[in-house]
Amino acid sequence: MAKHPVSLKVNGDEYDLLIEPRKTLLAVLRDTIGLTGTKEGCSTGDCGACTVIVDGKAVTSCMVLGVTVSEKEITTIEGLASDGELHPLQQAFIDTGGYQCGFCTPGFIMASKALLDENPERSEEEFRYELGGNICRCTGYTKILEAVLKAAEEVRTSA
Amino acid sequence: MSEYTVVGQKVARVDAVEKVTGAAQYGADVHPPGMLYGKIVRSKHAHANIRSIDTSEAEKLPGVRAIVTQDDVPSGRRVFATDKVLYLGEPLAAVAATDPDVAEEAAELVKIEYEVLPVVQDVMEAIQPSAPRLHGDATKDGPNRRGISTQIRRLSRDKENDHSDEISRLEAALEEYPDEVYYNISAESHSEAGDVEKGFAESDIVVEDTYVIPRVHQTYMEPHVSVASADSSGKITVWASTQGPFAIRSGIAGTLGIPLTQINVIGTTMGGGFGGRFGVIITHIPAVLLSQKTGRPVRVQMTREEEFIDGRPAPGCVIKIKTGATNEGHILAREALAFWDSGSVSGASIGSTIRVRGVYKIPNLKVDAYGVHTNKSGTAAYRAPGAPQAIFAGESQLDEIAERIGMDPVKFRLMNMREEGDLVPAGAEEPKVGYKETLEAVADAAGWWDREAEENQGWGVAVGDWTNGCGPGGVYVSVHEDGSVRIFHGSMDITGTDTMISQIIAEILTVPYGNVTIRRGDTDSAPYSTGSGGSVVTFTMGNTAKLAAEDAHQRILELASERLNMNVDNLELKEGAVHVVSADPPKSISLGELGAYSLSTTGGPIVGKGSFARQPSTPALAAQIAKVEVDPGTGRTRVLKLIASQDVGYAINPMAVEGQIEGGTVQGYAWAMMEEMQYGENGNVNPGFVDYRVPTSADLPTVESVIVEVPAPNGPYGAKGVGEPPITPTLATMANAVKDAIGVRVTELPIKPEKVVQALKSNGH
Repeated sequence: MAKHPVSLKVNGDEYDLLIEPRKTLLAVLRDTIGLTGTKEGCSTGDCGACTVIVDGKAVTSCMVLGVTVSEKEITTIEGLASDGELHPLQQAFIDTGGYQCGFCTPGFIMASKALLDENPERSEEEFRYELGGNICRCTGYTKILEAVLKAAEEVRTSA
Repeated sequence: MSEYTVVGQKVARVDAVEKVTGAAQYGADVHPPGMLYGKIVRSKHAHANIRSIDTSEAEKLPGVRAIVTQDDVPSGRRVFATDKVLYLGEPLAAVAATDPDVAEEAAELVKIEYEVLPVVQDVMEAIQPSAPRLHGDATKDGPNRRGISTQIRRLSRDKENDHSDEISRLEAALEEYPDEVYYNISAESHSEAGDVEKGFAESDIVVEDTYVIPRVHQTYMEPHVSVASADSSGKITVWASTQGPFAIRSGIAGTLGIPLTQINVIGTTMGGGFGGRFGVIITHIPAVLLSQKTGRPVRVQMTREEEFIDGRPAPGCVIKIKTGATNEGHILAREALAFWDSGSVSGASIGSTIRVRGVYKIPNLKVDAYGVHTNKSGTAAYRAPGAPQAIFAGESQLDEIAERIGMDPVKFRLMNMREEGDLVPAGAEEPKVGYKETLEAVADAAGWWDREAEENQGWGVAVGDWTNGCGPGGVYVSVHEDGSVRIFHGSMDITGTDTMISQIIAEILTVPYGNVTIRRGDTDSAPYSTGSGGSVVTFTMGNTAKLAAEDAHQRILELASERLNMNVDNLELKEGAVHVVSADPPKSISLGELGAYSLSTTGGPIVGKGSFARQPSTPALAAQIAKVEVDPGTGRTRVLKLIASQDVGYAINPMAVEGQIEGGTVQGYAWAMMEEMQYGENGNVNPGFVDYRVPTSADLPTVESVIVEVPAPNGPYGAKGVGEPPITPTLATMANAVKDAIGVRVTELPIKPEKVVQALKSNGH
């Protein structure tokens, strides 16, 4: 299959790549660039494990073709901590026990980050609704919500 | 205040940073150089004879490197179907290619000629004489015929007396049950205690119901995956997302006729398992075969759709159950007959039907269970395998009895619960377990005694019991010259167990939790360890860790004795140093100094060893209460409160324990209200998250957990396994709450809105 040139900006780094048009952003991130922190849980956009942020919006990267995101700013879980400092969401997930097997965690953290960046003034009810696109099978969500609310509080007070 | 400093604390997990930064390496993250992508070729029919398999077109596709079929399996163990497929999606071959999309295309190009056969997917149809047979003529007598046949055989064996009249009478009786022969039977299990007929005769109230529980998928978030690499010497390395690497090693050895030492299995971080990742399953052997054939590493990774059509989910079942009690609320007898849907192979956890006995004093009990073949994939363990199904039937029926005799469901349960020393029906003597404490704890936390319900609201309660398993394990502990401690072992971390092991060892060696690191070895390097499932890890590896740390502790004291020239009896290890007891001025030597000293002694470095296999474990109870609101128009049930208590023995890490309780309870909720693998004329029809709905955060309120600690005599610090119990009562908790809300019982799970509407209609609404 013919390959197309794309220029991806991932976590601040630029990648000039030749990719088949059928390859998803998820496949490009994991197989071509080697950023495997983004997970594949369903390949149909239903579980949210592959959530990354593209130009400020949370997207399921298994539903986006790699050739369509050239020149856009992409942030993955690997790009969240800066200068060795964990993002408040990452720290909150640790402090509250907001993960167990951890497979859904990168997706949850990225989906939550997009929400916090947009508006950290949400109620638990609203976060529960907004995070309805991410599936976790281990935690029952109680401690995930605790983590997100804790991080939201931190983001609000430090803003 | 706790007498411990690390154990019993909510410390962050040892794998915390790697899990929140995306650094943790799961199965599909393994990518050795030159790796090929494998794809399994699957049956498109649920039941068919295979006329031919033609791989020639697929082989011609550029990028395809190898195709394997059953001909490549030296032992002949069924990896791929050859002459007959028994379910939609059954593997027939596997392809390796340079690109995952090419592998998928090639799999589609393998031409299979089928002769389609009639399909049977319902257990109650499968046991009928008219049902298509999956495996020849597997039949079994039903419980009545079976009992009579056994009696006839016993009497016939007694040659010293003449039983001919009795035998004739029994043979005539046998004729009364001509239809009680079940077909497509894969396994059976029977237990009996006392005399149920007598028990029912003495009962004031006898209730009989049939409960139907669907097949559900464990739905671990990481689909099955394995990467295999066979080198030129024949040595095989397998990276596997598994609960038990050692079982995979022996499984591969047996299937492919290779010595154990030629196989190294590396367990990768596991994206959930819940019982579904045990032993050699689906992807391992195809990956190894393809790697052997190509000489390159091969990854075989399932999609979510493949998980649903060819995973090994929890079996559904139909349970006919009958209970008798007195007007005063004493349960006198219980009888159950269960048919478990084991799919195309045997293996459904039918023995768990005995759990209909619950934690109650039931003097007369009879349980008959059958595994039944249907045209579905085989089944596997799912969190307390078999218990949620059996306990759903038992605990639902208890509420029906409580209602008829006009007794509070919690009081009714408390009154019948076994106490220490009581005989478990068809079992041994009951040890000390916090049955009543756990139920009382959840009732108090939920405000059960002064509960209120508005219109269309209801409260439900149920309890579920489970006993953790145990198995072999080994742990090494090294104390280094800087005083740091390294743990080495071979058991897969199942959401927090490495942390638990680290806490125990830090506690015993009196070092800060942060000074301890833990490393899991592969099967080439680590001591043998049992699989991480059956709630075994805390019990087994916790005990093993204690032994290893105590061994190191002993060596530390001996070294200090030598160094300080003091008798061991005058020495004490605390706060990371060995102190001379009541020395004035104080005298001590740090672990680091001892670690450094040890390197130049005759005895050598400080290495503690722990090895453990078996100790009796103690049952655990989970008790739950739900408050729901049902919309009678749409049939939708909303959970207002979900509270779960559990006797955990001792919570080594309360945060992790709460997480297990909350997660298990939500899985139980999902089984009760949402999940069901559905089958049409040709196999599974809901192989994805749009049609197979699992709960999201939007479906649920905060789950409250209540930890009850009644120590287990042989558990480390009194701990019991905590992973499995919380799923066991939730199915009935939810069903009982819905019943309380709408006044009609839904006996068939999941309680989807349409079933609630139907139930209301049948009740004249």
